[in-house]
Amino acid sequence: MRPIAPQTLLFLEIAIFSAAVFLHLTKKNSSAVRLYVAQSAAVSFLLMVPAFAEPSALLLTALVATVAVKLLVAPYFFFGLIRRHRLRFSVSTYLNTPVTVLIIAALAAFTQTEAFRPLTQLAAGGDRSLLLSVATIMISLFLIINRKGALSQMLGILSLENGIVSFALFAGLEQSPGLQLGITFNILIWIIIATVFISMIYRQFGSLDVTAMKRLTE
Amino acid sequence: MTALILSPAGFSAIIAAFTVGALGALLLGRHERAAGLWGNLWAAGGSLLGLLYSATALITGDVPAFGVATSFPLLSLSFRIDALSAFFLLVISLVALVSAVYALGYVRHYYGRYPLGSLGLFTNAFIAGMILVVTAHHALWFLIVWELMSLTSYFLVIYERREPENIQAGSLYFIMTHIGTAFIILAFLLMYGATGSFDFGAIGRGMAAASPLLRDGVFLFALIGFGAKAGIIPFHIWLPGAHPAAPSHVSALMSGVMIKTGIYMLVRVCTDFLPGPPPLWWGLTILGSGAVSSLLGVLYALSEHDLKRLLAYHSIENIGIILMGFGSALVFLSAGFTALALLGMIAALFHTLNHATFKALLFFGAGAVISQTHTRNIEEYGGLIRSMPQTALFFLAGSLAISALPPFNGFFSEWMTFQALFAGVGTFSLVTKAVFLLGVGSLAFTGGLAAACFVKAFGVTFLARPRSPEAGRATEAPLSLRLAMAALALATLLLGVIAGGVSRAVGAIVQALPAFQGGALQPASYTLLRVDTGFAAVSLPALTAVLVGVAAAVAGAVHLLTRGRRVTLGRTWDCGADLTGRMEITATAFSRSIVTVFRGVLKPTGQTEIDYHDARLRYFPKSGLVRLEFRDIWAQFFYQPLQKMTLGIAGQIKKIQVGNINVYIGYILVTLTFLLIMLAARP
Repeated sequence: MRPIAPQTLLFLEIAIFSAAVFLHLTKKNSSAVRLYVAQSAAVSFLLMVPAFAEPSALLLTALVATVAVKLLVAPYFFFGLIRRHRLRFSVSTYLNTPVTVLIIAALAAFTQTEAFRPLTQLAAGGDRSLLLSVATIMISLFLIINRKGALSQMLGILSLENGIVSFALFAGLEQSPGLQLGITFNILIWIIIATVFISMIYRQFGSLDVTAMKRLTE
Repeated sequence: MTALILSPAGFSAIIAAFTVGALGALLLGRHERAAGLWGNLWAAGGSLLGLLYSATALITGDVPAFGVATSFPLLSLSFRIDALSAFFLLVISLVALVSAVYALGYVRHYYGRYPLGSLGLFTNAFIAGMILVVTAHHALWFLIVWELMSLTSYFLVIYERREPENIQAGSLYFIMTHIGTAFIILAFLLMYGATGSFDFGAIGRGMAAASPLLRDGVFLFALIGFGAKAGIIPFHIWLPGAHPAAPSHVSALMSGVMIKTGIYMLVRVCTDFLPGPPPLWWGLTILGSGAVSSLLGVLYALSEHDLKRLLAYHSIENIGIILMGFGSALVFLSAGFTALALLGMIAALFHTLNHATFKALLFFGAGAVISQTHTRNIEEYGGLIRSMPQTALFFLAGSLAISALPPFNGFFSEWMTFQALFAGVGTFSLVTKAVFLLGVGSLAFTGGLAAACFVKAFGVTFLARPRSPEAGRATEAPLSLRLAMAALALATLLLGVIAGGVSRAVGAIVQALPAFQGGALQPASYTLLRVDTGFAAVSLPALTAVLVGVAAAVAGAVHLLTRGRRVTLGRTWDCGADLTGRMEITATAFSRSIVTVFRGVLKPTGQTEIDYHDARLRYFPKSGLVRLEFRDIWAQFFYQPLQKMTLGIAGQIKKIQVGNINVYIGYILVTLTFLLIMLAARP
């Protein structure tokens, strides 16, 4: 099979990075879920590269499982949550949009500095993509910090996971299909538990704003 | 046959026996009788195999070494059983064997109260952990099995979990043992930094060229880490609470052998890991701390009225005696007197063996008494010699041994320790002589005070009249308990009778250690214990002849003086009142005079309350109460300030805990960014 062009890989990484940035900017929960689905689709395409380069049943199973969990099961649960609790506009942040954008820009710029230079030795020619995936990780972490809504925080964690997966792929850190399957299964269980937990929290507090949960400590 | 016993399969069989015992007991947990029987029989089997293995290794002089590689590059499950390891394996197996026999009957009083399955699980795992500790030959593997030993013993300490003081004692033990482990890890990390290996052999070879400062650092960390396990003062604070809290057969294992693993590793560190002549201050530090531990240990024991706590304090005392022998050996090594170093080390190891036997015996005796009276308070015993005559006899044997009275074994190892200390006094000058003199004085005091303490412990427990209804209703201990006690009582006597032969055997073990090679050992007969310097010798036949002669002379004199007199047995004159247990001297009253002499150290807080029939005249007391309590100076002046400081720092650190997940993730991001900047700034 013909190898995939580096430009395609870079494009996919840009898509992953952009999704993380737009996750910060969107005000609707449903849009945030859609952005996560788009980001996951890009990650799934990236996973296809080794799957089609060296086809094996286990690798394909891992890919199918990833697609199923990230593109089907996760949105199903999240949209169900939004529908059940009418969470259309429940996106509140600690920082306003201009400050958020500034910090995103600073984080992205930081990943291009000398601090990350040693990491580029890991990437075989794809150092830009690698640094973009690091930026995705940092920005996803910031998403979890900046958002007050539990659903947004969950999406931030999943976006972080997507960033780590893409980083591992660009850094050439080989993952066995068994491990990939295990991680996917892990994510599935996590999504189920987190969704159930969030529903319970909503029933108790009438909100998914984590600042409202301070009463838990009382 | 020898090759088979010493093969890796032979060693695996020992561990397998304990594993089967542990898991089987757990699975049989619902059937408590079966669980108890299974766990203890497999523990006895494993201990028998351990005895066979260690005896074979010691007799043949072989040093089995084997290992199992793991998928972790830094970890190797390496074993090496040299003479020192085999000696400690022998001691552990011996005490574990009698402990398992004892437990067959002892665990019955837990029926319906506490789960026997978990007791079998933790006891077997604990013994296996101790065996693995003294045979491990790799630092990381050692730390794993050290933790296994510590954790299983913690669960045994809190086994009787419905007693709040047991939970408290367990928590203190857990904290102290892990502080000790932290220092041990530091010592190993320092050695790893210098040698690049966790293998004990490589560490020994590599540390020879290490800087003196690094060697001193390793020594200090090891002394604190292993000293905490051994119960050296001031790291002893956990010991008086933890040992009594465990079931009595486990107390015997903890006091008799577990604390010796600390001594084992101290010997390893000072002679194997840090080869070459040790600096003088190492030996003086160990000798000094041994002197302090032995004297204070016995003083605290004197003031104690909880029988098991009293025995636990005596463990501190005996660890002190062992350290005095070991410390003097290090001092002699640093001065190049290998023959004298050999004497000190033999004394230390001989006392290790002796203490294991008589301390286990005494804990067994205490367990038998407690199982009948359901209390550890010595003031509520009395008159038990009538209802538990055999237990009393065995306890008496243990008391004589721990009081260093001939012909029991404690006398001979303390005698050897004295000889090592006298040799130091005669050899060195000024400061070193002063430390040896401190040791001699401390050991002399310790011997006398230990005898006084056991006059109290035996007298108040077994003699006179019962002081509580439970003591009055007590019956003789079950057969398995008496069998175990009889075996150990016999061992304390036998090890004394053949002290010459035992010292020769221990001498061969010490000579196998690289640091002591070249030291000459005079051949000794089985019954004659002699010091190479020609300074002193003790012959058991001569000693026996003197003892028998004195006893015969006293009996003859009594007979001569009283012959012709008619003996009439009658009621004791009691001033018209009924004789009761309240008229007897109590343990508090017995120890009060000695405590008063040492009030500067013990800080007693005496309180006397007397209620008079007529408060104005104050001639006729109605009732009197004497309360004698002791302030724990170590807790008051060291641990409590330390705890206060730790809590203060923790209170400041707690401020970063705001209860908001966003902030916590923020910490992660900031830390990550900081680390990356540090990485970039690195030249």
